[in-house]
Amino acid sequence: MSVATVTTDINIGPFKIPSNGQNMIMNNYAQRKNIKVEFVIPEPMTSNQLATTQWCHKDYRFTKVILCSIHQLPKEENNLNDLINNMSEVEFHFALEGISGKGKNFLLDCLSEVKAFLNAEKLDSSKTDWIELYNLFKSKNL
Amino acid sequence: MNLQEQIVSGKGYAILPIENLDNFNKLRDQFIEKMQLYTKEKKLDKLRMIMTSMSKSQINDLMVSLLSFDQASEILVDSCKNIVSSLSGDRIFLQRRANIIFNLPGEDQRRQWPHYELMSGVSPFTYIMWAPFHDLDDDGGVFYLDQNKSFEMIQEEHQKGIVNGPAILNKEYNEKPAKLKYGEVIVFNPFILHGNINFKSNLARIACSVRFQSIQKPLLQKDTDYFKFYKV
Repeated sequence: MSVATVTTDINIGPFKIPSNGQNMIMNNYAQRKNIKVEFVIPEPMTSNQLATTQWCHKDYRFTKVILCSIHQLPKEENNLNDLINNMSEVEFHFALEGISGKGKNFLLDCLSEVKAFLNAEKLDSSKTDWIELYNLFKSKNL
Repeated sequence: MNLQEQIVSGKGYAILPIENLDNFNKLRDQFIEKMQLYTKEKKLDKLRMIMTSMSKSQINDLMVSLLSFDQASEILVDSCKNIVSSLSGDRIFLQRRANIIFNLPGEDQRRQWPHYELMSGVSPFTYIMWAPFHDLDDDGGVFYLDQNKSFEMIQEEHQKGIVNGPAILNKEYNEKPAKLKYGEVIVFNPFILHGNINFKSNLARIACSVRFQSIQKPLLQKDTDYFKFYKV
């Protein structure tokens, strides 16, 4: 059994998490799940394919891979297919969402959820205040 | 006044019967099952009594361990399908891990500070459902300020440039905790000020709460870390 955690670019979907923060999140998750981590894989900044993880998998045959979020999955179909094909037996864990699973259907479901959230309208909390949010709640619900 | 009007234009909260009590019973029973890791007691009132003698750190450990009870949010929503869909439609962002919340009697216990749900970063279009696992015969429940009073407090603080400051934390609340019966749920909007008060009892209070919003409405700060997509 070999278990890896993976750090990626600081920008993770809607989150901005520095790599030491990512490590804290994943290690806390592993501890809670009683999973012993053996490898720490740093994906390069701006990379969004999990390619390093796949190359390392060829040598180390991971059984479990822990990431911070489903937002770190490749979003382009070709890249996700590569991950699915190369790592179909690997159990993926996503610490923030608290979900895990393996195989094509699980990863496609995760990506589908990512897209549902990416497609949702977002309010910018830095450009509003409580009164404005209250008025929005009242006006948009009538 | 229909539910949407009560929650948006009226008091801001409503107490309603749980539609599918058999389903809600399963939620309570599964909670008791999860508690078997800590005690072999299967009677809820006995569990409530045992909890009153637990330390704060034991209670905290218990609440953290219950985060793995990830079916709880779906069971609670499925117990109240019409309530949820009348407010948010049938395609929702649902809180991944419902909160199982304990309130212990006596002074110096952990308790919910008075607060609005919005402060956590949920969207203004998020609604909250809260249901106890037993009758609330004492003051162990939650008090709720109606929408007008809650908004007055928001405005008062806003003018001072603060949120959830001393005015809210230190205020003497005259409101009594809502005395829900088992099988009732309270639904409220994220601007409703609510919290606990110290209470006397031999039993802890146990309740479950979950948050949801329509996928057609905008998100604020909470994302996949907190919500998941769910079809009611």
